[in-house]
This record gives sequence, structure tokens and C-alpha cells, in this order.
Amino acid sequence: MTDRFVLAVPSKGRLMEQTLELLATSGLKLKKTGSERGYRGELEGLSSVEVAFVSASEIAWYLKTGRAHMGVTGEDLIREQISDAGERVEFQKKLGFGYADVVVAVPAFWLDVRTMADLDEIAGEFRREHGRWYRVATKYVNTTRRFFAAKGVTDYRIVESLGATEGTPAAGTADLIVDITTTGATLAANGLRILDDGVILKSEANLVTSNAAEWTPRGREAQNVIMAALGV
Amino acid sequence: MAAETAKKFEALEAQAQKLMSVFIKAGYEAVSPAIIQPADVFLDVIGETLRARTYVFTDPDGDELCLRPDLTVPTCRLHMERHGAGSAKARYCYNGPAFRFQPVGSDGAHPREFRQAGIESFGAGDREKAEAQIVATIIDALRAAGLKDVRLRIGDLGLFRALMAAAEMPERWRQRLNHHFWRPDAFRAELKRLTAPSAKSLQHIPAELLADLDPVDPVRSERQLVAFLDAHKIEITGARSIHEVSQNLLSMVADAKADPMPAKTAALIESYLEIEAPARAAGARLRDLMRDKGIAIPAALDVYHRRLQLLSELGIDVVHAEFSAEFGRSLEYYTGFVFEIVAPSLGDASPIAGGGRYDDLMSAVGCTEDVPAVGAAIHTERLLAAVTGGGP
Repeated sequence: MTDRFVLAVPSKGRLMEQTLELLATSGLKLKKTGSERGYRGELEGLSSVEVAFVSASEIAWYLKTGRAHMGVTGEDLIREQISDAGERVEFQKKLGFGYADVVVAVPAFWLDVRTMADLDEIAGEFRREHGRWYRVATKYVNTTRRFFAAKGVTDYRIVESLGATEGTPAAGTADLIVDITTTGATLAANGLRILDDGVILKSEANLVTSNAAEWTPRGREAQNVIMAALGV
Repeated sequence: MAAETAKKFEALEAQAQKLMSVFIKAGYEAVSPAIIQPADVFLDVIGETLRARTYVFTDPDGDELCLRPDLTVPTCRLHMERHGAGSAKARYCYNGPAFRFQPVGSDGAHPREFRQAGIESFGAGDREKAEAQIVATIIDALRAAGLKDVRLRIGDLGLFRALMAAAEMPERWRQRLNHHFWRPDAFRAELKRLTAPSAKSLQHIPAELLADLDPVDPVRSERQLVAFLDAHKIEITGARSIHEVSQNLLSMVADAKADPMPAKTAALIESYLEIEAPARAAGARLRDLMRDKGIAIPAALDVYHRRLQLLSELGIDVVHAEFSAEFGRSLEYYTGFVFEIVAPSLGDASPIAGGGRYDDLMSAVGCTEDVPAVGAAIHTERLLAAVTGGGP
């Protein structure tokens, strides 16, 4: 482990590009260090800061365990992976990119199911007809459970899905889904419709600090410089 | 508490021996169901809510397994394995660990690994007698372990079922209220909705389709629905059939056309659920309430009183037992009598023992016959804390 201040940023895709853009426009010059592929970097003029390039979904784990002091990742991933997010991390700033809604979507032809309450209502009949509870495909297992419980829906089963979730109802492996969407076009193309009260979370990239990390005075200093640059 | 001192372990072992010897002497056969169970059966019975508190994992073969979150379902499975159809009479007792994730972090009263000692009775035809015996045996065991002060709380889901069956309303309303019973907020909302005029809003159903939905002519209505979907290029996907969607739409239309539930009926159901009283007084209040509202559920009330009588004959202090109509609403697999033993020193939030009737559980684990089943379990760490007077 290092006693340096660790800033975790996404290591690939649009999320990485937009994070780097943000840092650049905020006057924080990022320099990759080490090997060509560079999974490490530093911020010019801030010698105490080490930048770690990590996949967006792992950043939540870095923050939860205190491996990183600060990170940039989607709120959806933080809320899914840290059951007590309010305790372990602090959301410092919404960054205005990486928009994604986590939603509940059902086959569009279920004209009788517009709300979570409607969904709950068909549970008994579905079970009588098919001999099982309806299945919800998702990679957001914890988020789904919390939302369904809050809406009073209890009679369902979760099927973990690691990709192409929107195709599971047509494939017959699930009956409805919880997934992210930006425009809704993919859902519509798969014959799915978002429930009227089925938006679980309007997520975007956030600047997040860890309460689990070890904070030294130098670390606090680095945090202040970065936050000031980002206008927090 | 994951780690426990050797001293506490020995104390729990010694206590377990006392409990088990009471059970065995009372005629319960000691069994040790498997700790690792197939996740499927559990998840189907207990639902996703308890799944969030169950340690579920996948083995190298890809099979989904779990650490048992209680010993009742494993004992049901053991009984099935032994007797096939499962209708054979049997009485079992057990003592062993069960595992539950504790979201707020585990403390002494809510450890993630805890030992349950309990009893289960399958196939006993005289239900009230079997229930009274279960309560008496559990209380005997608690006393043998040194617990002096016990308070008995009882409930009876059979009374609610009888009330719902006797109250006049369309069958689909009854089904819906029964379904919501386990979630008091949703239940209250549903009841309110049913008493409001034009119970369910139909504004979300497209007007051109709505005009073609006629509960009196389901065949034609379904044809119209198919035509509507065709016209709007909405594809039919997934396991749920067009027939199911059509049926549900029709019952929404029927609800909207039906007269709302009389305020009297809703008030009766609500007043019933508010009853909380000493066990015998509660019986009298139930009778008065039903008489006032012109509804009779004599069979369920007889069952209730007979059970109290049998408990009393077995030496249980029913005068100080408390009845609550709400009690049992958080435990979805119970179907009739439910009870809890509370020790004043630990409080209502951490009952020392609890149990009840779960007549549907055997069929949920795969039994083809209806098997009456009743059982109860002791939370042994809490019992030890109450007996030794230490913190939980």
C-alpha cells in the first residue's frame, strides 16, 4: 500500500474520455506514468496524488475498501455495490456526464401493467398460471431488491444477468428486467416499456470520496486542491 | 457475532442438551438436516426479501446453494426424502446453526450465525391439539434451560381467512386482499381503493381499446386486444400469454364498473386487524365485533377457543397471553396459529422462541399431498443471554 492520495478514474470508454476532459478543462494536468499502457498516472504539481486507472465498476470497490480516497464513477455502480453507501462514501459532485437511468421495464404488450402496484397485482395470477414467481433479469441485484421492497413487491425472483439483459424476456429466461438506459431505444427495440413509476435512479458520473480510506493532512490538502479545481 | 468465546460455546452446548432432552422425552425424534441446501426451494418459499439475508453461492458445478437461513424448510425436505408424498405422521427435533446476513451489522441479539433448537410436527390431524403441544413443549424446554419469566404472544391467521371468506365481495378482491395481507401498507391502500367510487382508474388503457373490452364477452375482448396490438405493432413476447393480459384488463374494467366495497365491510376488516387484547378477552371482542357487523365465523372462533382451552389444560398461563390480530403478518409462510415467546429482559424485538402452523410449506417443497404442519424454534443465543442475565 502507498501513503499517497489515490484518485481512481475509469480506465476505458466514454467515461474515461469524459473524465480526462473534465480534469484537463479544470486545469489538472494528468500524466500517465509507468508502462506504455499506463494504469497509473499523476497530476502535475500535486506530487502526493497518485491516479489509478480502474474499470468503472471496480472503482466502487476501491472506495468502499479505502483503497482509493477519491474516485469518479456512476452513482448506479456505487449504490449497487455499497449497501451502506451513505456511511462509507460521500458524493461530492455530480459531473454532468455518464447519464444513465436504472429502470424497471416490462414487455410492452402488458397493457395491464403500468405501475409497480400493477406488477405486484399480477404476481399471484402469474404464479398460478406458470407455477413459479416471475423472474427479473438484472445486474443490479441489490438495487432491484431495495426498490422492489420499498414498493411492496415481494413475490418475484431475480436472475442475475451479466449482459444483453434487454433480450432476456424474448429469450424466455426472464419476464421483466431492471437495467440502465439512456434513450430507451434499446428497450423499445426489444419490445419493452418502462413502468410509469419504474425509474429507480437517475444516475450520472459523480466525484466521490471514501470514508474508509486513511486520510492524512497531505491527503486532505490534495483533496481540497482537486475539489477547488473541479468547483466543488 | 462470528467469533465466540470457548466458554460461551460450552454454555450453548450444555443448554442445547437440556433443550434436546426435553424434546426427545416429549416424543420428538432428533434429526440433523443438511446445513448446505439447494437455494431454489428456499427462494421460492421465502422470496427475494429473505434472499437478501441468505448466504447464496454457486458451487463449481454451477448449482445454486445456500447456507440454511432456518431449519424448518430443511426439516420439511428431510421428511419428504424419507416419506415421499410426505403425508406420514412424524415429529422431529433439531439443534444446529442457521445463517442470516444482518444488514445493520451483526450484534449479540442479531448474529449472522446463530443456533436454532426446534421441533416440527407433520401430519397431525387434530390441529389445535398439535399446536398446543408445540407451545407446551417449547415452554417446558425454556424452563428446563432456566428461563423463569416467559410471556406468550399469539395470533391466528385462520381468523382473518375466515373473516375474508365470510365478508361479501367479488372473488378477485378477496384474492388481492389476501395477497396484500403480508404488507400492511399495501393492504390498507388496497382497502381504501376498493371503497372509493370507480375503484380503479382506467385512464392508462387506450380509449379505443377500452371501448372494446367487455367482461361479459371475454373471447371477443381478447380478439380485439390482439387486433389492437397488431395495429400498433406491439409484439407479444415472453412467458405471459395474451390471454392472461386480456383477463387482467377485463377484471380492471369489471372493478371500475362494480359498486365500491361498502364502508361497513372495510370497517369490519380494519377493526378486526386492530384487535389487541389478552387472549380470552380477545375472543369475546371478536364475537361482539362480528355480531355487530352481521357476520358469523363460528368455526374459526371455536377453533380459537378450543386451542386456548387445550393450552390451559397443558398448564399454560393463557390468562396472561396476549392476542394480536396483526401478529404473524410479517411471516409469509404461516397459515394459521402463530406464537412468540418474549422474555421481558430482551424485549419484543428479540423474541426468544417462535413458531406456528404452515400447512402450505410441504407442498412448496414438492409434496403432492396436503400435509398439516406446525413447528417452533428457539433462538438459543438469546435464551442463554436471558438466563444468564448478561446482555444479549
